[in-house]
Amino acid sequence: MPDFIKMGLALMVVGLVATSILAVTEAVTRGPIAEAKRLEILRALTQVLPQGFDNAPDSDTILLSDSRLNRKLKPVTFYRGRKGDSNLGAAFVVTAPDGYSGNIDIMLAVIPGGTISGIQVVAHAETPGLGDKIVITDWPQSFQGKTLDNTKWGVKKDGGDFDQFAGATITPRAVVGAIKKGLAFFVENEGKIFQPASTEAVK
Amino acid sequence: MTSTKEIITNGFWSNNVVFAQLLGMCPLLGVTTTAMNGIGMGMASLAVLLGSNVVVSLVRNYIPTEVRIPSYIIIIASFVTIIDLVMNAYLHDLHKVLGLFIPLIVVNCAILGRAEAFASKNSLARSAIDGIASGLGFTFALFLLGASREVLGSGEIFGMDLFGPSFHPALGFVLPPGAFIALGFILMGIKWIEAKREEKKAVATPATAAHPEANAA
Repeated sequence: MPDFIKMGLALMVVGLVATSILAVTEAVTRGPIAEAKRLEILRALTQVLPQGFDNAPDSDTILLSDSRLNRKLKPVTFYRGRKGDSNLGAAFVVTAPDGYSGNIDIMLAVIPGGTISGIQVVAHAETPGLGDKIVITDWPQSFQGKTLDNTKWGVKKDGGDFDQFAGATITPRAVVGAIKKGLAFFVENEGKIFQPASTEAVK
Repeated sequence: MTSTKEIITNGFWSNNVVFAQLLGMCPLLGVTTTAMNGIGMGMASLAVLLGSNVVVSLVRNYIPTEVRIPSYIIIIASFVTIIDLVMNAYLHDLHKVLGLFIPLIVVNCAILGRAEAFASKNSLARSAIDGIASGLGFTFALFLLGASREVLGSGEIFGMDLFGPSFHPALGFVLPPGAFIALGFILMGIKWIEAKREEKKAVATPATAAHPEANAA
């Protein structure tokens, strides 16, 4: 048998065995990975949504897109928290494109009428020790109970109501801006956001 | 032929992936902002190293030399993908922190290095021991760097506050430049310890001091 065929065969066998093992691993871990991601979302939802919902907000969802949610018009999942027939609030992720280093994803939960019940930063790449105070301090709590009307939306340096951090103004400014836009979208589209689960809803 | 004990001391200390070979710098500098991240990354690398060493050793007589490197890379990449999936499924939080760096284990030349330099020439058992020893050595290095950066940069260890609120940590150590600085000092410390040991050896056995032990380097 010529050498090149031997080499080809050896590589083929290695490739085949490797691929089959990976296929099996993927099949085994697919369920647990999906479950871990679901729990992660559910954990974030329970933190931002008002207490007491009796549905499963992670499966009661609707997709909407708007330039105020993220610049790229990517569809955003709205998780609806309901108690019986009444709407408790909706949580959704807004993207601040103007962080100090890259995008900041913030989960924002709003009560019908347009009051914020909670926020949580879900993904960011801000400087540890400076910009990441948006996550590790209780700064996110300063958004609780805010509406478009009762608050000056900006950091204190810009004449607004929200604290900036020593050495980090860009990060909180970006977060405040993104939340304000998300809140404005919510107020205008509240009816659409809470409409009953349709076929559009994504699991 | 090197003894088992030598394989272990070589892998863990005298031929340590980081301290002696200066390999695997990318994950080393990238993830070591905390001690826990260092250990997590180290254990993931150890698992890949052990797996690839074992498999490479098993197939060493069947793979034609000309295609051995691509075969090793497929083997290593498969193990990395398996670790990636398994960590994502069962250690989801750690995976979120290390996520970006796990696929990069593929290009950690330390792993291909062990496959090529050791596992392809040695028996299964010896290759497995070498994989564990080198992996532990890498984990130790990651832990040392991670712990020192966490203590200096955040004033914490494993997330526990060490010095109280009046302590102002040197933030720079958590940032990328701090990784280089901390690594530099650790390497200095290691070299110093090595030099001390050499000195002691030279004093204790002056007759054999000139023994050609140096060729191990």
